Amino acid sequence: MWHLGRGASFVNDTFQPPPHARLMNQSTSTNLAEIYRFLAQSMRYPSPDWMQADYFSALNTFLVELGWDGEAQTIRRAISEGADWLEPLQVEHTRLFVNAVPCVVAPPYGSVYLSADGMLYGPSAEKAKAFYREQGFDLAGEADIPDHLTFELEFLALLAEEGKDQEEELFLQNHFRPWFPHFQARVLQKGRHPFYGVLVNLIDFFTREEM
Amino acid sequence: MALNLTRRKFLQTASLAAATAAMSGCFANRATASTPFVKKPFTAPGSFADTTTAVGGVCEMCFWRCQLVGKVRDGKLVKLEGNPKSIDNGVSICARGNGGVKLLYDPDRLKFPMKNVGKRGAPEWKRISWDEALDECATKLKAVIDKYGPHGIAIFPHGSSAKYPMTFFEHVIGTPNNSEASFFQCRGIRDMAYVATLDTAPDENVDMANAKVIFLLGTHLGENIHVSHVKRYLKGLENGAKLVVVDPRFSASAAKAHTWVKIKPGTDTAFLLAMMNHLIKTGKYNKAYVEANGAGFDKFKAGISHATLDWAAKICDIPARQIKEVAELLAANAPNVSIHPGRHVSWYGNDFQRQRSLACLTGLLGAIGVKGGFVKGKGPKVGKSGWPKVNVEHAEAHALHLMAKKHQFSPPGTPTDMIRETAVSGKPYAIKGYVGWGQNPIQTIPDQALTIKMLQQMDFVMVCDVMPTDITMYADILLPESSYLERYDMIKTGTQWDLSGKQEQYITARMPLVSPTAADHERKDSVWIVNELAKRMGYGQHIPVQSELEMTNKILAGANLSVEQLVKEGGIHVQPGVDPYGAVLKVNFFSQEVADAGFPGVPTYIPVPEPPKGFARLVYGRAPVHTFNRSMNNAWLMNEMPENPVWLNDESAKKMGLKDGDRIELVNQDGVKSETSSVVKVTPGIRKDTIYMAHGYGTKNPAMTVGVGKGIDDQSLITAKAVDPETGAHGMRNNFVKFVKNGKVLSIPA
Repeated sequence: MWHLGRGASFVNDTFQPPPHARLMNQSTSTNLAEIYRFLAQSMRYPSPDWMQADYFSALNTFLVELGWDGEAQTIRRAISEGADWLEPLQVEHTRLFVNAVPCVVAPPYGSVYLSADGMLYGPSAEKAKAFYREQGFDLAGEADIPDHLTFELEFLALLAEEGKDQEEELFLQNHFRPWFPHFQARVLQKGRHPFYGVLVNLIDFFTREEM
Repeated sequence: MALNLTRRKFLQTASLAAATAAMSGCFANRATASTPFVKKPFTAPGSFADTTTAVGGVCEMCFWRCQLVGKVRDGKLVKLEGNPKSIDNGVSICARGNGGVKLLYDPDRLKFPMKNVGKRGAPEWKRISWDEALDECATKLKAVIDKYGPHGIAIFPHGSSAKYPMTFFEHVIGTPNNSEASFFQCRGIRDMAYVATLDTAPDENVDMANAKVIFLLGTHLGENIHVSHVKRYLKGLENGAKLVVVDPRFSASAAKAHTWVKIKPGTDTAFLLAMMNHLIKTGKYNKAYVEANGAGFDKFKAGISHATLDWAAKICDIPARQIKEVAELLAANAPNVSIHPGRHVSWYGNDFQRQRSLACLTGLLGAIGVKGGFVKGKGPKVGKSGWPKVNVEHAEAHALHLMAKKHQFSPPGTPTDMIRETAVSGKPYAIKGYVGWGQNPIQTIPDQALTIKMLQQMDFVMVCDVMPTDITMYADILLPESSYLERYDMIKTGTQWDLSGKQEQYITARMPLVSPTAADHERKDSVWIVNELAKRMGYGQHIPVQSELEMTNKILAGANLSVEQLVKEGGIHVQPGVDPYGAVLKVNFFSQEVADAGFPGVPTYIPVPEPPKGFARLVYGRAPVHTFNRSMNNAWLMNEMPENPVWLNDESAKKMGLKDGDRIELVNQDGVKSETSSVVKVTPGIRKDTIYMAHGYGTKNPAMTVGVGKGIDDQSLITAKAVDPETGAHGMRNNFVKFVKNGKVLSIPA
C-alpha cells in the first residue's frame, strides 16, 4: 500500500507518486495546517470567545476519527460534568502554564527545557527564530518569545500550508521535538484536568517521528 | 479505525475532511484567530551584526540605580553594561546589574492578572483579564473605603514604580497607613536622626574618595555593592585613607581596615559616646566648628561626661586603648574624615540614639562641607509630576503614631508595627484592605506570624509585583508589572562620583531597553494600572498623567529636556556642575526637639537584651551578589551564591563539634526553627556571642523555582521584635539562636 511518510517526496528524486496521491498530498498539507492551528488554539487560554460547544464538537469528532474514543469520552465527561466547566480549565491552564503555587508546572517555552539555566529566550529560542526568518517569517511582536508552544505550532501550520514538507520535518526534528516530550511529560505527570493530557498527546501524535 | 493509526495515515483517511471541516468552523468568533507571524524576507544573521545599543536604562537590581545600556539583538536583551556616558557608575555595573537579563527572562515571572480561587497563603490561581482584575480591585477597595474610611487601606510599597500607586493612596484616597520597607526596616532611622541633628537626611554622602580616615560602623562595603559608592571608598583607600571598621565580624571592609574594632553587638552608641567624651575632655575636637555651629554643646558635654573609655571598654568588650586610638586618629585627621552614616540601620531598637551620635561625631570633628567629610553633591533641578493632595488632611488626622502621640520621629508613612497591630486588634480603627506593590513584607518585617494574621483578617488583598515573592501567596488579586528593563518610571539625577573631580551634573530617566509587550504575557506599568484603578474607583478626575512616558517627559521638561532629547544624548544629559564644598551645617548636639518629645535630648546609650545562656546573637547583612530576597530567583546570581553560610566562631565550633561546611539548621530563643538548612562557615573572624548570615535567603514560595528553600531565612528567626521608640522603625538584631545538626540542638559556648 502507498504510504506517505514524512520526507517521502525527497527520499528518492526519481519517485513520482501517482496523480491521486499528489492531490492527496496537497490536501493533506492544507489539512495538516488546519490541525496545527487547531492544536495551537487549543493550548491558548480557555476563554469563552473561542472555547464553546463548536470547539468541543470539533475536538470530539477529531478524536473519534482518530480512534481515540476513550480520550473523547473523558473530555466529554469532564466538560459536561459541572455547570461551570470553564473555570476548572482556566485554573488548570494557569497552574500548568502561567504561574502557580507550588510552581508553574510546564512553562510552554522550548528553552526552559533546553538551556542549562532553564530561562526563557535561551539560545535554542534564538535558533528557532532564525529558522522562522530563513523561511521568510518573523514574529509580529518585537519582544515575543520565539519558542512558545503556540508559535511553534502556528509556524508548523504555515510550513504545512506552503507545502514545505522538508522544512517542516527539519523544524520538528531540530527545534520542536527536542523539548516537546519534556513538556508533555510534565503535563501528563502533574495535570489534574484530562483536557491538557489529551491535548499534549494529540500534539505529540502529530509531531512525532514516524517509524 | 485502526489502533496503530499514524498521523499520515490519519491524514489520508476520508473522514479527515469531516474532522477538519469542523475545525475551521469552530473558531468563527475567536478573538485570537490571527496568526502571530508576519511575512518577512530572509536576511542572513551576522553574529553581532544586528546588535543595537538601547540607552536610558537605570538599574533596579538594587536601589543605587546605576545607569545602563542594553545590548539588544533582534528583540532579545543579551547583555547589560554601564552607560559610557555615566559620570556616576561609568561603564561599571555589579554582578546583580549583569544578572538583570535573567530577571527579564525568568519563566517564573508573573505574566497575567490572576485571581486566587483557593485560599490566602495556599493560592490556586486563575488567569483573568485586566478588566476583570481591575474591576474587582476597584470594587473591593471601594467597599473597604465606604465601610471603614480611607484609612481602612494599608499600603506596602517598595521601589520607584511603587511611588505612583503610593501617592495615589496617600494623597487622593487619603490613607496614612503606608509602610515603606526602605524606611521602617532600613534607613528611615538614619534619615530622621540626621534631620534632628544636622537638619538634613544624609543618604551616604561622605566624601570617602578624598578622606584621610574612613570610619564605618557596621557598614560592610565590598559585600554591600553600590558601584559609585564603592568607587568613592576604593579611591579613598587608594589615596591612602586609614580605614576604621567597627563590626563584630571580620567583614570585607574589616579585611581592608587599618583598625578593626571587634565590638560587642548592640553597644555602638557607648563606643561613640566614649570617643566623643574623650575628645572633649582632652580638647581634641574641632573647637572652631563647634563654637560657630554647635547648639546645646554644653548640655551635650555634661550629658556624656560619664562615658569614659573604661566605661565603654567594658560595655563594648574592647580595649579602652583601642577606643582612644580610634578617637585620636579621627581627631588627628579632622576635618577630612568620613563618618559613614550607614544605610540599613534598623538593628536593635536603640538606633535613633546611635545615628544621632554619628551625626554629633561628624559635627564634633567639623567634618562637614570639607574634603573627605560629610558633603552633599549639588545635583540639577528637574520638574515635578504627581497626584494632587486631595485628601491628605484625612490621612494626617488618622495617622496612628500622631493619634497615639508616639514615634514623633517616624519617617514618612506610619510605623509598620502600628499598622499591623491596628489591623489585628481593630483598634483604634479597622484596617481591612491591603495593597502591596513590589514589597515582600513576609521577608522584610519581623514576626511573620503576626504579618500573616494581619493579611488573613483583611477583606481584600491586592498585590502587584514582578516575581511571585512570598507575599504574593496571600493575594486575592495578583497583578503582573513590567520590569525595570521594560518601563519608564523615574528620573535619576546626581553629580560625578568623585566630588573633587570636574564638577558636573547629570539627568537621566529610566527608559525601556526592550519592549514591554509580547504575545505570551500582559504585564503593565504602574501608571497604567493605577490610572485604570483610579477611574474605576471614581477618582479619574485627579489623574495627573496618562502614561509613564508623559510622566517622565513632564519631569524632564523642568530641566528643558525630553525623553527624545535624552536618547539623542546617549541616555544621559550631562551639564556643568557646582562646587559642593564649603557648606556649613548647624549641629544640634543637644536636641530640644527630641527632649520635648520625651526622649533623651543628649545621645544616650540604651542597653539591649543579652543572649540567654547557650545562644548567640543573630546578625545579618548583605551579600555582594544579591539584593536580599529580590534577587533570589536569579539563575546567574544564585549560581554564584546558592546559600547563605552561617558564620560561627572557630573556637566555639570546635567545642560544639561543628566543622566548616556542616549542614545545620537554627533554632531561636522562642523555639522557632528555621524551615530550611544551610552550611556553617567556621571562622576566627566573628565574635563568640554573634552569629552572622546574609539576609534574604530561604524563600518559601515554591513558585520561585530557583530560590525556593535555598539557605536560611533569618527573618523567620526574628520573632522577638524591637521597635525604635523615636522612629517606630524595627530593630531586628535582638534575636538569639542555637544550632541544630541532625536533629540535635547544639548550645553555643560563651
